[in-house]
Amino acid sequence: MLPAARLGLSLGRLAASLFLSLVFTTLILLIAGAPPIDTFIILFAGGLGSVAKLAQTMSVWIPLVLCSSALLLAFAPGLWNIGIEGQIILGAIFATGFLRPFAEGGSPLILVGALLAGMIGGSLWAYIAGVLKTWGRVHEIFGGLGLNFVALGLTLWLIFGPWRRPGVASMSGTEPLHPSLWLQEFKGLSLNPVSLALALVAIGLVIYLLRSTRWGLSLKAVGQNPDAALLFGLKPNKRILESMLACGALAGLAGALQVVGVYHRLLPAISSNYGYTALLVTMLASFRPQLIPPICFFFALLNVGSIQLPLQLKLDSSLSGVIQGVLVLSVFLVHGLEGRFRLGRKKE
Amino acid sequence: MHVEFQDIHKYYGRVRANEGIDLTLEPGRIYGLLGENGAGKSTLMRMLAGHIEPTRGRILFDGKPSRGFNPSRALALGVGMLYQDPLDFPALKVWENFRLGGTKRDRRDTLSRLQKLADRFHFRLSPEEKVGELTVGERQQLELLRLLDLGAKVLILDEPTTGISVKQKEMLFTTMRQLARDKGRTIVFVTHKLAEVEELCQEVIVLRRGKLTAKLPAPFRPDELIKLMFGAKQEEPEEDQHRHNLVEENFIQLEQVQLLGEKYTLRDVSLGIRPGEILGLAGLEGNGQELLLRGLAGLVRVMKGRLIFDGEEFQGRPYLEFRRSGIHFLPAARLEHGLFPDLSLNEHFRLAFPPHNGGRHKLSPEEGMKAFSIQAKLSTSARALSGGNQQRLLLALIPRQIRLLLLEHPTRGLDHGSGQQVWSHLRERCRQSTALVFSSADLDEIKDNSHRVLIFYNRRLIADRPTFSISVEEMGRLMAGEGRAV
Repeated sequence: MLPAARLGLSLGRLAASLFLSLVFTTLILLIAGAPPIDTFIILFAGGLGSVAKLAQTMSVWIPLVLCSSALLLAFAPGLWNIGIEGQIILGAIFATGFLRPFAEGGSPLILVGALLAGMIGGSLWAYIAGVLKTWGRVHEIFGGLGLNFVALGLTLWLIFGPWRRPGVASMSGTEPLHPSLWLQEFKGLSLNPVSLALALVAIGLVIYLLRSTRWGLSLKAVGQNPDAALLFGLKPNKRILESMLACGALAGLAGALQVVGVYHRLLPAISSNYGYTALLVTMLASFRPQLIPPICFFFALLNVGSIQLPLQLKLDSSLSGVIQGVLVLSVFLVHGLEGRFRLGRKKE
Repeated sequence: MHVEFQDIHKYYGRVRANEGIDLTLEPGRIYGLLGENGAGKSTLMRMLAGHIEPTRGRILFDGKPSRGFNPSRALALGVGMLYQDPLDFPALKVWENFRLGGTKRDRRDTLSRLQKLADRFHFRLSPEEKVGELTVGERQQLELLRLLDLGAKVLILDEPTTGISVKQKEMLFTTMRQLARDKGRTIVFVTHKLAEVEELCQEVIVLRRGKLTAKLPAPFRPDELIKLMFGAKQEEPEEDQHRHNLVEENFIQLEQVQLLGEKYTLRDVSLGIRPGEILGLAGLEGNGQELLLRGLAGLVRVMKGRLIFDGEEFQGRPYLEFRRSGIHFLPAARLEHGLFPDLSLNEHFRLAFPPHNGGRHKLSPEEGMKAFSIQAKLSTSARALSGGNQQRLLLALIPRQIRLLLLEHPTRGLDHGSGQQVWSHLRERCRQSTALVFSSADLDEIKDNSHRVLIFYNRRLIADRPTFSISVEEMGRLMAGEGRAV
């Protein structure tokens, strides 16, 4: 099949899934007693209505794109890196830890160090999951899930223990960073150019690595057939660890950017579950890199729009999560039905 | 029950698993079903048990054709199959497993029914034990009782004597005789062990390459059965000039090597291989050939003994060192283990020939495709290739400078022409002093292409003979455990 035709097929599937999830969501809204049309307007207009709103949407888009790019690297050799949540958190912890000695502020160059520290933190966490898999034979889903809980526990312990704010320890996190260590935002907008640039570089880099390098090709080969990869001398275990390291670095970067660019401190919910959302994004994109940015945008839009729901319609903001979940299920359903339909035809 | 197969055909794509089989099974008799691997025994029996549907033809049960094929309907008609690896539930208790699929009964009824049946055949099964803790023999006994309880009138036993003790085998045979004689059950005993057929069966059915070659009553003549199983080719020892020119010394030496596989261990293998030599491995599947090939490739652990390659001890070294020293292995399942189904041919070439080494000896993908007459585009995925093209691709991906080539069933699934092409390429490599070790289920292929034949039986290497000194018939006899190895 031609690449263009294949992309067309993916887009067709996506459209069918969107339609299906629209139907399901409307049903849910009707059951909940909410006006469906108003709700949809708020959801989409909430993140698009003004430049400020759009900037807000983009600030959610950035970590989603970083994490989805990271996951593409892990998916290439067939890894379900569900531990990405923990890797984001570790990135945030390492970046915060790196910045702690600079409570009085300092040069913006320190931020480069903080971002690198975040990448190391994420890589480290991913590497543990990788070693658990290749050496300890623990499936990466279980290893990653376990490590997510450990990472969350670690954040809480830091926030309420050694890194607590003088006097009070609270869920509102650690002492804010000195303003000289905040990433500069576009004037009046909650969006910073450094994060945006890094996200664009990340997705570009991942596409290049997977498409045009021998390393990327050998990752895919390991994912396709580990036995054959072994026979070809591609060192499957080494490739798995490398892809985990690279994936963790990008996730850690996302975490570090949440600290220095968005919250300016370490929070218990620093990852905002973007790791899990990114898993949904990559599945929805059926691992096609070019679909990642638009899908991330759509998800970011839902996230930002849903903040308005409780204010305007007295609906819970978790509705955006419901829609995202329904969307992913619809994609699988469309995919499954397509397979079923094809098989059915073959049988006749 | 009276079972009649009428003109049964079963095709899998181009592969003809069964062709035009007409066969009648009478009640109260024990039949032996003989044939080498891939002869079509399992296919035929799986159709009888309702797992697969014939492509053509029908099966009559007491004169009535079966409508639809599925295992529960077959069981309702009275056909039960005992699999080589019993289909049971390790996590259940014996009595719970026994109750599955049967009439609704409470625990007490189940226990008493199980006890009654077990007593009849002198089986000792403790009802409260977990199925997973039983021996293979006990699991067979349990499954057998369950099938009988469900009212099986035709019992199919698929190689039931593998993995059970001698005593359990005796019990099983006694039970079979009892069931056939006293209860009028029809029993089909699938095997490749001639001695067991002679011991147990009243009639033997032989399949070869999907066709029925004979149905004979006891007593049997083993020589005749071997001929029927493996094909009788009267061959005159013809000599290839090249075969005598092997004057060089062994470059590979195995000394009392013990190889540890996933399922079993191959013990005490000693042999030497010279450059340019072709060794054919004969044996029924699971008797050690696959382990020897993987052992030589460095993919399986050497537990004992020494594996010497160019004067250096190689046992315990990682696979990559074997590979770097010029040892190359091609598995039988090409798409499952040898290729990347969704990657293109071009990508395969890129992976097989890294730019940094072997640059000089490397073929460009286009040259490779042409040299091996692979009929496809470079952008085609491996999955879309025919079996022949997949095999040619694997051959094209072998680096030029190879010392030892290990091939598992090099021409399986290929038509005659493609097979010939593969062999002419392989012979060319051996003329350039690459040694070749291959396994095959086709004894003619071994006879035609190798200098030496190694024969495996019972997970041992039992014979190592120059090819001209052994006939296909004798190979077959040794593989089936008849006669003495030299």
